[in-house]
Amino acid sequence: MAIDLTKFILRFVDEARDHLGKMSDGVAALEQGSADAELINALFRSAHTIKGSSRMVKLDTIPETAHKLEDLLSALRDGRVRFSAAVGQALYQGIDTLNQLVDRVAEQPEKPDLPAVDAELCRVLSAALSADECREPETSATPAAPKVAETAPANETAPANETASAVATAPVTGKAPAVENLPTTETAPVAEKAAAAEPKLKSADTVRVKLSKLDELIKLMGEVVSSHSRMRQRVKDLQALENLITHAEADSGFKGQLALFSQIFKDDVQMQSQLMGELHDKTLAMRMLPLAIIFDAAGRLVREQARRLGKQVECVISGSEIELDREIIDQLSDPIIHLLRNSLDHGLELPDKRVAAGKPAAGRITLTANQDGGWVLIEIGDDGAGIDLAKIREKAVSKKILSAETAGGLSEEDIIDLIFLPGLSTNAIITDMSGRGVGMDVVKRTVVEELQGEIAITTRPGLGSTFTLRLPISLAVMRVLLVEVDGLPFGFTAQQIAGLMRVPNDALVQVKAGLSAVVRDNEFIPVTALADLVKIPDSFAENRETRGNPAELLLVILEVRNEKIALIVDELLDEYDMVIKQLPEHLRWNPLVSGMVVTGKNELVNVLHAPALLALSRKLHRSSLSPAAGSGPPEPGAVGQNADLKILVVDDSLNTREIEKDLLESYGYRVTLAEDGLEALQKARAEGFDAVLTDVEMPNMDGFTLTASLREDERYRATPIIIITSREQEEDRRRGIQVGADAYIVKSDFELTNLVDTLRTLLG
Amino acid sequence: MRILVIDDDLMAGELTAAILEDLGHETVLAENGVEGAERLGDGNNFDLVLSDHNMPMISGIELFRELRRQEIKTPFILLTGDDPEACLRLEPKLDGCLMKDFSLEDELVEILREVGNQE
Repeated sequence: MAIDLTKFILRFVDEARDHLGKMSDGVAALEQGSADAELINALFRSAHTIKGSSRMVKLDTIPETAHKLEDLLSALRDGRVRFSAAVGQALYQGIDTLNQLVDRVAEQPEKPDLPAVDAELCRVLSAALSADECREPETSATPAAPKVAETAPANETAPANETASAVATAPVTGKAPAVENLPTTETAPVAEKAAAAEPKLKSADTVRVKLSKLDELIKLMGEVVSSHSRMRQRVKDLQALENLITHAEADSGFKGQLALFSQIFKDDVQMQSQLMGELHDKTLAMRMLPLAIIFDAAGRLVREQARRLGKQVECVISGSEIELDREIIDQLSDPIIHLLRNSLDHGLELPDKRVAAGKPAAGRITLTANQDGGWVLIEIGDDGAGIDLAKIREKAVSKKILSAETAGGLSEEDIIDLIFLPGLSTNAIITDMSGRGVGMDVVKRTVVEELQGEIAITTRPGLGSTFTLRLPISLAVMRVLLVEVDGLPFGFTAQQIAGLMRVPNDALVQVKAGLSAVVRDNEFIPVTALADLVKIPDSFAENRETRGNPAELLLVILEVRNEKIALIVDELLDEYDMVIKQLPEHLRWNPLVSGMVVTGKNELVNVLHAPALLALSRKLHRSSLSPAAGSGPPEPGAVGQNADLKILVVDDSLNTREIEKDLLESYGYRVTLAEDGLEALQKARAEGFDAVLTDVEMPNMDGFTLTASLREDERYRATPIIIITSREQEEDRRRGIQVGADAYIVKSDFELTNLVDTLRTLLG
Repeated sequence: MRILVIDDDLMAGELTAAILEDLGHETVLAENGVEGAERLGDGNNFDLVLSDHNMPMISGIELFRELRRQEIKTPFILLTGDDPEACLRLEPKLDGCLMKDFSLEDELVEILREVGNQE
């Protein structure tokens, strides 16, 4: 027959691994005390499927082994055997053996060479079934393992006494507990020497450890490493002492001895530092899991969904051996599955369409991972139709996410970025696959915010699209910037820092009471004292005196999804790669703190959570915006007077728009926002405004062109237009007036009264 | 012949289909009994149903009984990973029962010949 079994054998490997993974989860659930009948049934079915499909692809040993497991599971299901630790152990051993067999099949799928049924496993499974001996597999095309388990002489290399006692106890008691006495990794290999010996060695390769124990170990390692950094401090102390004594009057012999001791001590600490570093790396590596955990299941999912969609697909997976931090693996699964569904659903065309386009009927989906220094690149690609930019643009306009004109002026990258907006799906029919659950916006948020990674898309019409995720290998170690406020240290993860600035105190723009801003690259960024956000008690305030130069402010600028905030800090302390630890459960109530790090001086430092800081500062500003809270500016009556006046504020910076809006609204004006000249022009034509405030430098249409275009419109011939810009040159000022602006305000001169007074004067 | 293959194990289903296609038959796959019944009820003409027995929701034998109850008389061959004789004892009206096994190909050829002769 001309069927190429290799292809199916590879499929079998995938599916068997999937089943085995589910089975060990299932046994773990049974261990946790879950006695759900459906759970046992699912375990049974998995074993049954492995048996059936391995037989169909003509593999030896696996059917019999799976059959043995099936026997024990059906006894469990029928209540003939009660679940116990021994039964769980026996099931695990069976699953592990099957995993090893499947691994061997994967190594040489063309001609799998499998050892005979593992007699020791048979014995363990039978013991769990309370049977006296291992029965021959009932239906077997291969000669079964010789029935030598009990009588075989122990392998010479094995510890003879242990093997002997283990073998001796089992038949005597004949009961399940005997299994527990068997150290599985140390029992002597039996039966066929060469074939059976190898998987035995392999089973000694791994040990099952509870995650919580591992995390404890890693925590402890962190403590050891940080306490070691104190040793380095002692070396420095010793050197200082040595210097003191060199200059003091002392016995030269004593000085020499001290110098020698100091040198030896330094070398010792040096050597330990290296070992510590290694210990640190190795322990962190224990948190790592292979991407195969996600990738293997993904392959099966793609095939299943393709069939449901009537599409043909070949799924090529590589790099599943690359390891990532467990936490990343956990969170990455949903985004990858979403992107794969997306490629299948939106990317790949139906077979007839593909053939018509001169492509093979079967589409190709690739899922690859590559390591790049401390990062991993994961690519999800398809050879489908590519992303239809025109369709996305249309959709964005019809869903009122963008105006037609703004959309018209977007670059290709900008349009592609639109798919990350909530509520944008280009498929005409919302299918039950990618149309629900996680959206692309969630994918982006998980990758960028939760996992501190990046996401990029390339697409070519007719040739397909590729999504590239760039992720840090471990979430446990990150670059952290340490700053000081009122004598207290705080940390920020480097990914969220957009910049550092040192500005003269008077360079801040007082937007209104309780809200000041700094101008950076033509943008207003709201400024908040970190001390106010984290509410440092006044008792620490005396430390404020120690600031170097009170006339100068040090600002840390944080950025989260296009929104920025500048935090006033006293000092920059340091920057290093550090292990960020989780806070203990009872301290997690504070959303501002995302974790902590331990410094060389063994200080615990809070690592602040940028998104929470931004949200809090926004809230503080809002509350200070109510006219009652503001001290002074909005005069009585002014708010009411302005209530009917509509102002259009145009700026491409989110922060700037928001700050201007806040300010104007506190005076009672009604504010509409636009992101650039084109959008502004469209909005201005659609409804009437009493005044326009615009930036100069913006994509699509700048402020000068906007002003000129508005002046051509009958309705805006006499409307006040104020240009607010960071351009200070006289030439720009002249040009602004030339195109018809009524006022030209430079952002760095921006003052509360300045803008409002100007506006008031112009509005009459 | 046009054959409906029902198996919750995709690989097994596709391998069965591949063998059948290699023998020159047309196949349609269904993932479970419910989907299989839908395919049969859609007015599709199948010459034969090859169904796995041990599936979630509806087992192969339950599906067979349901089809006969609905007067759908398409010849029905059960595939099982266990003992075919036991299945036949459980439901003697089955048109055949095969072990999902190394010998599947040869036995299929035989069965297909029989079904072909009956038509």
